[in-house]
Amino acid sequence: MKRILAALLALPLLAGFARAEDKPVLKADSKPQAVKFDLVPSGHFIVKVKLNGHGPYNLIFDTGAPSTLITPKVAREAKLIDKAKDRPLIPIFGMEGQVKIKEFQVGDVVAEDVSAMILDHPTVKLFSKEYEKKYGSIEGIVGFPFFAKYKMTVDYAAKEMTFVPSGYKGGTDVMADLMQTVMNSMSSSKPQPRIAAPAGLWGLELDKLAADEAEGVNVKAVLPGGPAAEAGLKAGDRVLTIDGRWTDSIPDAYTAASFVKAGQPVAVVVKRSGKEVKLTVAPRPGL
Amino acid sequence: MRYLITAGLVGLVLTPAGAADKKEAPPKTAPTYEVPYRLTDTKHVMVRAKLNGKGPFNFIIDTGAPALILTEVVAKKVGAKEDKGWVTFDRVELEGGLSIPNPRGIAIDMFQLKGMNAMGLAGVELHGVLGYNVLAQYRIQYDFTDTKLKWTPVDFKVPAPKRIVDKGGSQGGLEFIGTLMQFLSALGGIKPNFEIQPRGFLGAELGADSDALVVKSVLAGGPADKAGLKTGDRIEAAKGKSLRSAEDLLDAVKKLPEGASLKLSVKRGDDTKDITVELGRGL
Repeated sequence: MKRILAALLALPLLAGFARAEDKPVLKADSKPQAVKFDLVPSGHFIVKVKLNGHGPYNLIFDTGAPSTLITPKVAREAKLIDKAKDRPLIPIFGMEGQVKIKEFQVGDVVAEDVSAMILDHPTVKLFSKEYEKKYGSIEGIVGFPFFAKYKMTVDYAAKEMTFVPSGYKGGTDVMADLMQTVMNSMSSSKPQPRIAAPAGLWGLELDKLAADEAEGVNVKAVLPGGPAAEAGLKAGDRVLTIDGRWTDSIPDAYTAASFVKAGQPVAVVVKRSGKEVKLTVAPRPGL
Repeated sequence: MRYLITAGLVGLVLTPAGAADKKEAPPKTAPTYEVPYRLTDTKHVMVRAKLNGKGPFNFIIDTGAPALILTEVVAKKVGAKEDKGWVTFDRVELEGGLSIPNPRGIAIDMFQLKGMNAMGLAGVELHGVLGYNVLAQYRIQYDFTDTKLKWTPVDFKVPAPKRIVDKGGSQGGLEFIGTLMQFLSALGGIKPNFEIQPRGFLGAELGADSDALVVKSVLAGGPADKAGLKTGDRIEAAKGKSLRSAEDLLDAVKKLPEGASLKLSVKRGDDTKDITVELGRGL
């Protein structure tokens, strides 16, 4: 039963992998471009978006959305429908599949090759009904595939966002990545624990007893000659944060270390004889 | 199916019933805070918060949500007080040293989080979202080439968000997705595993020397030392895979926990030999 279910679910999930990479939008001038938004009474905000020159359309800007959504109506208007891939057999919510939008323009900011899903999201419909009179209909959601490309600021007081291309490419294949994630979770009923891998060598042994619920973890040993020893860490120190990240458990400490690249000096705050001491540790290449 | 699930991942939330307005003091002017974040497997921007000194709990930054929303279990666990549809806290601190003034939120089990947690999709357990009533008090900079968000308090009096629902008090009928995902994961025998284990420790500093991976130093008393690895050794392969740089080795061992054994092919002078190291505890 399990296997049948997994297979049933896994098969359609496989389609739609291996697509071309989004090109990072990098321009020579790195002046932030401002985009004004309409803050609506429900606490959401609306931006004007052009799709391949069509529009502008009202979209909700949603940092909590891993995908960008466009209504079928607008997708048709902007001639995106024929290019849609992976159209589902049974179109729930009017789903028309995924598209890559060549020119996705928010205010004056133009991003290239932004992937989006075409569907009538019921919550978007509700919003549209609520705000149609004042702002016009709402036709979708701007999500991660757009804003991941930028260093972005959001300022509600000024009702303004700013964008500078950052060169980040991880927003590229969000949909494929999501499908992979869904598939992985379905394919194994006994997932293994994750491994937190420090990105550099610290020369440090940490421990914490199961019954110990206080903040921080203990330094059990500092290996002579290593970066931690050089920075002045001592056995008996209680590590509270690594590079601003809480280290209240061993997994937390390793997770924090996974973000610190070799050669990058970071603050390590320890409690030593009742006082907080801030040290600077630069892990070295190694493990 | 996957479209349903993907639709269920969109953190677009409407204000639930009964959350009444309440005046909030403007935030004090303060310097910019660097708030560490991580991207979940579902590409949500996640930060950690301690509520009333308890936690940390995992929250998604969600401009598509009207407020701080947390699960009912967490609200109870931290002793949040009920106040006209809202819950209030004595303290809400974000990782990075930011304390949110007059924090309040809504305790409700969002279907999006319910579904993601049932399947373990995000790779971490999610406890809530940070929405408008918190986010609007700051100018927030996102940069996914950096490991931190930058939060600068701004002087903005945040009005209570208006509630939008359809006739049945629903958010457009999507609530079933969370239940569906729970049902599917139960049917498929999926038990999400949010446990994290430390990677095993070698205790060697590595460097590159004309396209070869070289041991620059061996920490005394560490696993590499015990297994007989020496400064100057060239590591040519790990687990039978050839290597050229420290990154290659890090990549080869990234899923090996403490206690795992690692076979290295080492060239010392003109000799080539295999050294098996039992990875230890440390970083």
